[in-house]
Amino acid sequence: MDAEARRALAARILERSHADATEVTVVANHRALTRFTHELIHQNVDIDDVNVRVRAVVDGRTGVAETNRTDDDALAEAIARAAEIASFVPRDDESPPLAGPVDVRAPQAAYVAGTAAAGAERRAQIAARIFAQAEQHACWSSGYVTTATSGVTIATSTGAHASFDGTDAAVNVKMTAGDSTGFAERYDSDAAVLDGDALGARAAGKARASEHPVAVEPGEWTVILEPAAFGELLHFLGSHFSAQSVDEGSSFLSDRLGELVMGDNVTIRDDYTHPLHPGMPFDWEGSAKTTPTLIDAGVARSVVLDRRWSHKLGQPNTGHGLPSPNSFGPYPLNLVVEPGSLPLEELIASTKRGLLITRLWYTRIVDQRKTILTGMTRDGTFLIENGAVGRGVRNLRFNQSLVDALATCVLGDTQARTGGYSYACVVPPVKFERFTFASTTDY
Amino acid sequence: MEFSESADRVLDTAVARGAVYADVRFERTRTERIEVRNADVGSMTDERSDGFGVRALVDGAWGFAASARFDDASLDDAAARAVAMARAGASASTKRIGTIPTDAYVDHFATPLEHDPASVPLGARVALLLEAERSLHSAPSIAVGHAWIDLWKTDKEFYSTAGSRIGQTIYQSGGGMSALAVGEGDAQVRMWPGDRGMYFGGGWEAIERAELAANAQRIGEEAHQLLAAPQCPSGTFDVILGGSQVSLQIHESCGHAAELDRIMGWEANFSGTSFLDPSERGRLKYGSGIVTIEIDNTMPRGFATCGYDDEGTKSVRADVIRDGMLVGFESSRDTAAQIGTASTACVRAQSWQHIPMIRMCNLNLLPGTVPFENLFDDVRDGIYMEANRSWSIDDRRLNFQFGCQIGWEIKHGKRGRMLKNPTYGGVTPVFWNSCDAIGDAASWFEWGTPNCGKGEPMQTGRTTQAAAPARFRNVAVGVGYGR
Repeated sequence: MDAEARRALAARILERSHADATEVTVVANHRALTRFTHELIHQNVDIDDVNVRVRAVVDGRTGVAETNRTDDDALAEAIARAAEIASFVPRDDESPPLAGPVDVRAPQAAYVAGTAAAGAERRAQIAARIFAQAEQHACWSSGYVTTATSGVTIATSTGAHASFDGTDAAVNVKMTAGDSTGFAERYDSDAAVLDGDALGARAAGKARASEHPVAVEPGEWTVILEPAAFGELLHFLGSHFSAQSVDEGSSFLSDRLGELVMGDNVTIRDDYTHPLHPGMPFDWEGSAKTTPTLIDAGVARSVVLDRRWSHKLGQPNTGHGLPSPNSFGPYPLNLVVEPGSLPLEELIASTKRGLLITRLWYTRIVDQRKTILTGMTRDGTFLIENGAVGRGVRNLRFNQSLVDALATCVLGDTQARTGGYSYACVVPPVKFERFTFASTTDY
Repeated sequence: MEFSESADRVLDTAVARGAVYADVRFERTRTERIEVRNADVGSMTDERSDGFGVRALVDGAWGFAASARFDDASLDDAAARAVAMARAGASASTKRIGTIPTDAYVDHFATPLEHDPASVPLGARVALLLEAERSLHSAPSIAVGHAWIDLWKTDKEFYSTAGSRIGQTIYQSGGGMSALAVGEGDAQVRMWPGDRGMYFGGGWEAIERAELAANAQRIGEEAHQLLAAPQCPSGTFDVILGGSQVSLQIHESCGHAAELDRIMGWEANFSGTSFLDPSERGRLKYGSGIVTIEIDNTMPRGFATCGYDDEGTKSVRADVIRDGMLVGFESSRDTAAQIGTASTACVRAQSWQHIPMIRMCNLNLLPGTVPFENLFDDVRDGIYMEANRSWSIDDRRLNFQFGCQIGWEIKHGKRGRMLKNPTYGGVTPVFWNSCDAIGDAASWFEWGTPNCGKGEPMQTGRTTQAAAPARFRNVAVGVGYGR
């Protein structure tokens, strides 16, 4: 469903709604994913869906109904249901008005027609190149190739009309070589840049280089995290930058805005315009997104807000609302860590003894306020000795305050986009001088 | 059944295009969620999602396509896309997969309901949550009170070229609440019931059994008390885990480990593999002799209870661990065929637009014989922990670390001071072999989890791990805070 069709659909709903104010969100997704293991495509999916969300405000009360049907009956039912739900909700006098007219422009390269047109054959071709690399390196592969298009239109009875179309493509590959594994990934809005051979070779190279991993003692280590590993840690800071969590006291930034909270080489922004991760120029309430600097040379500079928290705190809305109303509060969906000045090779060369970490797994919060995280290394962990990458090491469990680690870190000079099922961000590699491991494994 | 003609069209098209087998699953799902947060109705939504997903098997490869449109052209298109996907997969693959089912069922299943959620007015639902949430603010340090209800109703119809025609109406319900206390540079959370709320296969009775309002004041007070409670010590202790924490321990260190697709490497790049191997059936001593864990997708109130799984296999009971010994796996048709067994009907898809795959369904630790209060009798120096706060396990399901919301020291068989930030860790078979007492049937409960993640694209599964509190000897405690 293209932008014009989504706008027309939203307009039909706004015309028919008798609520005091109405917001309509139309999301049209087409996602395809080719998943493989042992050089076999075992899961191959192609999904087409539309979601229509109607938010009705009646006498200061808000109700929401959603449907994935677009016929008149279904839309009428959603409109009526949203209004009916609103009638059972207590009046909320602190609720801000819905978004008004908004003037936004999508970043360049957010939508690539070639990605939208890529089919199962193209994904299978990329997978086949990965299979060839697996055979060449005597490994077995697992991973996926995915392409997706998503279109979002938000319209309100108060004059907001915003539309965005984006594409996404990604390859994720793990190679297994006996007792060791390696990993590589690439995300882009353009499927044409996905190179199965290069990614397969990189993952297989890591698997081969870490064969017969040795055990090292847990404890405090200097570590270098490649972007996939750093990104997994970073996304746990996302909620800390929310005005809601700062105000309510669950953020490490509560009562610390304006203070030096990390090393003065650390700058973190939320930036939907970043060329590695071009995103939606408006938020899920239809407000224009800004690109706030959250940590500025180590200083806690600002937080993200939505309409509700802007209204509540009397501060400008930064445009970071999730579908409203919600219990999560505002959220930064496009975190970017500014790069440093040293190439990855220099980070390694300047390390007398440490660990090079490709990827982390099952990272979870141990202590929210202290930003203590636990998780495991996986898919390529290497010993660094006297400035050179050496043998693979068996995986370790870490328990580490991320904010403490960022107090003494060195950032690499290149950035990459990384992500997981619940996040995407842009980060450089990072060297943490002190990083604590609690235990080890036998693989 | 409603979609009989549409199903025939999809299956005929898939076969005409070259599928040797195809099945199609039509679903109409209604999802209702209400949240109250700090006296505001933070969310009150009613979502309806209708669509179908078709699987086609061509030359030993599967294709899956889904659509939300039911017109003839869309039915044909989805069938054709599924076949094309399968064909593209076969062209690139060097191996083959895909078992052609031969069994067929014509049947209907409906979740037994004690109390139909539709009979509870919206106003009463909101009032219940507002009352409970208000009572959570039982101390000035409570910064956030949060209470919620989730209701799902799914009507699904499954048709296959083998002849199956299966209709199912599945009700799933649940709710819970949490209090966040903030003070002295610290933040502490308490949730009820357990650590996720109470989730069942069933109706409004799940909300009633959660007894939110009756427990809200205590939960708020406990969150407040945790701020001033001493830190849980580090060291080696005997540990008693509350039932919901045992449930999560089963989930992470047994349930995922025993998924046969994971064992075969199908999840290797994301959720990981497993330390288990099919050859270890009947040979690996997974736990102590009192540990028996079984699949039961027929159980009353099971969150994953249904008549048939999402590839049309009839629900069963099957052992995974019997008297401490590994004896079976959670499986699908394809994976079971590879080790010469029958499917244990553990295939689920999150919705019509998701591919069916092996999911942990109802996987339960059978109750022991020890009354809950007597679990403490034989503990000289230990820790009692309740309600998960943090969970992590490695990608082979061996090295785990969990944190709980609240703990109490145990001295000479008696529960003592409240402790904050309790954490423990271990290695799966070592830990389960250290289990020397399991609570009796009176303390056994069907703990449901609404948000189990697996697969790519990521799917959320609903699962029950029924459990009683249990005792484990010589456990590493305090691991999350520097031990």
